[in-house]
Amino acid sequence: MREERSFICVSCPLGCGLNVIIEDGEVTYVSGNSCPRGAAYAKTEVKDPRRVFASTVRVTGGKLPVCPIRSKTPAPKGKLSEIAKAVAALNVKAPIKIGQVLIHNVCGTDVDIVASRDLN
Amino acid sequence: MSKNIDVLIIGAGPAGVAAGIGAKKEGAENVVVLERDWDLGGILQQCIHPGFGLRTFREELTGPEYMHRFIAQAHEAGVEFRTNTMVFQIDKDTNAVWTMNKERGIECLNPKSIVLTMGCRERPLGAIRIPGTRPAGIYTAGTAQRFVNMEGYMPGKRAVILGSGDIGLIMARRMIWEGAEVEGVYEVMSWPGGLRRNIAQCLDDYGIPFHLKTTVTKIHGADRLEGVTVAQVDDKMTPIKGTERFVPCDTLLLAIGLIPENELSRMAGIEIHPVTGGPVVNDLLQTSNPSVFAAGNVVIVYDLVDNVSDEGLIAGANAAKYAAGKISPNVKRIPVKGGENVRLFSPQFVTGESDTIIYMRVTHPIEGACKVIAEPGLYTQKLRYARPGEMNEVRIKASAIEANPDIKEITVDVQPEVKR
Repeated sequence: MREERSFICVSCPLGCGLNVIIEDGEVTYVSGNSCPRGAAYAKTEVKDPRRVFASTVRVTGGKLPVCPIRSKTPAPKGKLSEIAKAVAALNVKAPIKIGQVLIHNVCGTDVDIVASRDLN
Repeated sequence: MSKNIDVLIIGAGPAGVAAGIGAKKEGAENVVVLERDWDLGGILQQCIHPGFGLRTFREELTGPEYMHRFIAQAHEAGVEFRTNTMVFQIDKDTNAVWTMNKERGIECLNPKSIVLTMGCRERPLGAIRIPGTRPAGIYTAGTAQRFVNMEGYMPGKRAVILGSGDIGLIMARRMIWEGAEVEGVYEVMSWPGGLRRNIAQCLDDYGIPFHLKTTVTKIHGADRLEGVTVAQVDDKMTPIKGTERFVPCDTLLLAIGLIPENELSRMAGIEIHPVTGGPVVNDLLQTSNPSVFAAGNVVIVYDLVDNVSDEGLIAGANAAKYAAGKISPNVKRIPVKGGENVRLFSPQFVTGESDTIIYMRVTHPIEGACKVIAEPGLYTQKLRYARPGEMNEVRIKASAIEANPDIKEITVDVQPEVKR
């Protein structure tokens, strides 16, 4: 089966318009990219689309009531709303250090949720 | 009386922190950054999404992570920060800087040089004159971003976003992730204000409709926002009769542009450019007052924080040179002019003292092969397209200026490639 898809590369601010040919579920041709990251993005976007998830968690005893978090690595796109709920249920005690793991292996994705700032 | 300050920097956002590092690296002894907030980092602390620093660090960081690295560098370099400190006046003739702080009281500082790094503000509702009522529930996108990401409040449950600047696009996704509904994004122009990748990853990913050439024509609601009327506009941006549609919503977020924040610069008598809204600067980032430098979004609104940090480093270094008496009052002053398709650009003068980048935006998009140029014959770079939402750069070599001592003026432009 042969399929053509077009989407925007989100790897960098250039935002190249990618044209991808998929044959039997495999990306066989990528055009429109200006760098190798674009070709790599096209392949993961077709087979296993992922995004970095960024949100906040509730904090007790901090200078701010919430602390920003991120998925340390890109998480499966289809799992983002589940991850959002897991993060929303969390309450963390200050002080928090940047990079501190707040949820290990969130929703069984093998991805860690980490704090993205120091908060005293 | 406080110690002698060599370089005083106003604002500890990305430009100010970088300016501090730049000044220390250039050898300035006492470098002080003033910040009105309790924390360092400026607006980046509320930009919790990834996408920052790809050029600088070769990886995509969130705003707080990006600032964490720069703040650590600044501390290491010996930059002094004073938080909770508001500058309320700069005297025109003496350059005295008046500050206010709860513990230190009112102080008058007399630095050898100043770097303005106050950043920018969002265009508010009052700037676009929408008919209707003025109920609660209308915020600039950045205000909503601060509520959600730093103060832990949700502005509402069903949002309409007017304008397609990057902060609006980012907030569309953020509202979805926090469980709200986003009815759509409306942009009066026929092209998006923000980056294409943000349309892809913030709107397309979540099926949020994006309407070009459409705007909000009326606001409804007595106490709380109850909805807006949207309508398509014609080429003169006049709403087209018969296209009006009522959209129920409790929140309207505005992402309709950013304005450099220059109250202090004006107070100090610094010349402000009528189009950029920022100080007129040369490539040393020196303003019309030779002891005052400026960098970042206070000068011209950039797309990328990497550029803001780069400019901060340059302004800080040059302010340190000035404080040490190392910048001649007789540097060259070659004016830069914008060509036909250039809406704004900065710097406005080139000295030829070092290699420099002129940042610019086109007035109209060119979808197809084009080139960015600097005449006479100083720079040509081919582009696949040029869009108002994405800045272009012109790189001028100091050696090229030196080789052409008769240059009276530099013209920058973006032109379509002519097919032969």
